[in-house]
Amino acid sequence: MSDRPHLLLVDDERSIREPLAAYLQKNGFRVTAVGDAATARLRLAGYAIDLVVLDIMMPGEDGLSLCRHIRESGEIPVILLTARSEETDRIVGLEMGADDYVLKPFSPRELIARIKVILRRAGNGGARLRAPESESYAFAGWVLKAGERTLVDSDGVSVPLSTGEYNLLLALVSRPNQVLSRDQLLDITQGREANPFDRAIDNQISRLRRKVEPDHRNPNLIKTVWGGGYTLAADVTRM
Amino acid sequence: MVKLLERLWPKNMSGQIALLVGIALLVAQGINFGLLVRARDRQELIQVAAPAIARLADAIERDAAGTPMIRERGPWLLRRGVVVEGKSRVTGDMPRREDIAERARVALHDLRVPVLRVEAAQAAGSAVRLPGHDRIAQLRDTIDPERRNNRPYLIVAAEVSPGRWVNLITRLPSRDPRFLGWLFLQTMILYFVVLAAVLWSVRRVARPLRELTGAVEGFRSAESSTLVPESGPSDVRRLVAAYNGMRTRIAGLLDEKDRMLGAIGHDLRTPLASLRVRAEGMEDEAERDRMAATIEEMNRTLDDILSLARLGRPSEPETRVDLSALLDQVVDDFQALGNTVSLADMPRTTVTIRPTLITRAVRNLVDNAVKYGGSAEVSVAKAEKGVAVLIDDNGPGIPEDKIEAMFEPFARLEQSRSRETGGTGLGLALAKAIALQHGGRLTLANRPEGGLRATLWLPG
Repeated sequence: MSDRPHLLLVDDERSIREPLAAYLQKNGFRVTAVGDAATARLRLAGYAIDLVVLDIMMPGEDGLSLCRHIRESGEIPVILLTARSEETDRIVGLEMGADDYVLKPFSPRELIARIKVILRRAGNGGARLRAPESESYAFAGWVLKAGERTLVDSDGVSVPLSTGEYNLLLALVSRPNQVLSRDQLLDITQGREANPFDRAIDNQISRLRRKVEPDHRNPNLIKTVWGGGYTLAADVTRM
Repeated sequence: MVKLLERLWPKNMSGQIALLVGIALLVAQGINFGLLVRARDRQELIQVAAPAIARLADAIERDAAGTPMIRERGPWLLRRGVVVEGKSRVTGDMPRREDIAERARVALHDLRVPVLRVEAAQAAGSAVRLPGHDRIAQLRDTIDPERRNNRPYLIVAAEVSPGRWVNLITRLPSRDPRFLGWLFLQTMILYFVVLAAVLWSVRRVARPLRELTGAVEGFRSAESSTLVPESGPSDVRRLVAAYNGMRTRIAGLLDEKDRMLGAIGHDLRTPLASLRVRAEGMEDEAERDRMAATIEEMNRTLDDILSLARLGRPSEPETRVDLSALLDQVVDDFQALGNTVSLADMPRTTVTIRPTLITRAVRNLVDNAVKYGGSAEVSVAKAEKGVAVLIDDNGPGIPEDKIEAMFEPFARLEQSRSRETGGTGLGLALAKAIALQHGGRLTLANRPEGGLRATLWLPG
């Protein structure tokens, strides 16, 4: 019983809250679902919540404000649900201290994958990326800004990354010069275990190389380690 | 000629006012000038005619009394220029001065000096032979004949008895050439003072008007335009204030539109999200995937509508972006769904764009290529002052005469609005609007080797 992570789902829309709570429960989570921020505060005080799934647009106190409250009072990770796709909302959400965001309408399976990734990070001896807006990683002429989820080169040119690529790069830069196996990377970035012929990580690595390596055919930044793993061969400065 | 006038006629307000004031001043000065000359002539008449008539009366009386014309005493001037002979010195070719003759008749009558006839005329110096005894004058005239010949003389002749004329010859004051110069200078001073005042006041009106014109022309969105400072005369101020008020109201309307679109987006996405979550509970996996795809399609259409409506006030800032990485992203998403989409190798290319919008535009173009052409090949070419993103397919292409119409919102090649081929026809309209918003353009063309090529041109 205590094995099962306890999620707090905050959404004012009953038509989303109820089926989503049921779906999450079916997939191995304990779920407490509430319809407004005030009740959410009560539940946060009364239970040991592992992760909060939070709708931004709510009557009364909105999700961003509640997110800030959660961030100020503890380490509980937050995933935002947003109906708006505007870039600014996304960045504001991440700057408020949210760990991730999902655009409505979202695939419930995708949501579960994200939840698992974040719980995995949080479970890795406190390696959870807290207060992401303050984190930037500088390496080999690149800056990875966790707050905005952007990769910028020394000329200020930003390089778009998919969520998977971002997670992968974040995993590499937060553990520089460590060898990470495919299984570890899959576990950290996608919260799942590898099946025998899984090429997902290798594909993403090669895409990343195309974006960050000066010559992607002779990579010297993201190196392949013989025996099945990858490492970031660079000094990383946290800013 | 008319064309030349048209070309010279100033087009702007200050030029036209300056020209009109100039012309009006010229006409007024012309009339003034005429009046002044007339007044001067009258003055001259009185100044010259009165002593001449007095001398004539004196000469007639002397003649009647038999006193010789050469007086031993008295002012020397009085006897100068008096000739008594059998004919009038006034000849037919001299311009008559009937006004002076009339004055002389009246004056002589008042003085009770009897005369039969009086004639008066003006003559050039060359036409006047003065009596021989005026030596000094003769000497002077020899030295400077020019002077004598050009000076105007007045001749007044009175017939005292039949066949006996007393002629009086006197100089008229020569016209002062400086008089004209003064008049000209005076006109010019007036001109400059009035023109300076007019131009200053016109500029006071024209400057705020020019600023207002600039603000109206530059009006793209309410927040990027600035308030025009209210200056100039009160009516211009009122116009500027009215414009500023309108700008504020437009900003209000746009805000309201944004709030409304936000509400629509939220209100439609929430039920879609609910459907999506419920769909996950379905047992039939194939049916579930189809439903998820439909929901995704609806969501994309909603996104397109909202993007198109909001394009005027983009919330995303322009950033320098690695275009190759952005295209790779789009192509990867399509490949992940099992579509035949490829990206040609290219050198790293950076562009200054709003990445979310350009991603949407490229995605729509690739989506069209996949839907109607079965596959898509994305490549980048250097173009004049920028880059061109090329999206090629191997489909049937579009008839040349239908290409323009494809950019209309909700336009699709086949008239049936079947969802079989998907799409609402917004995709291309949005892609084009995004291109224009970036200062670029979007064209469609049939490739000679078959298939369609969409070219998204972006300034570098």
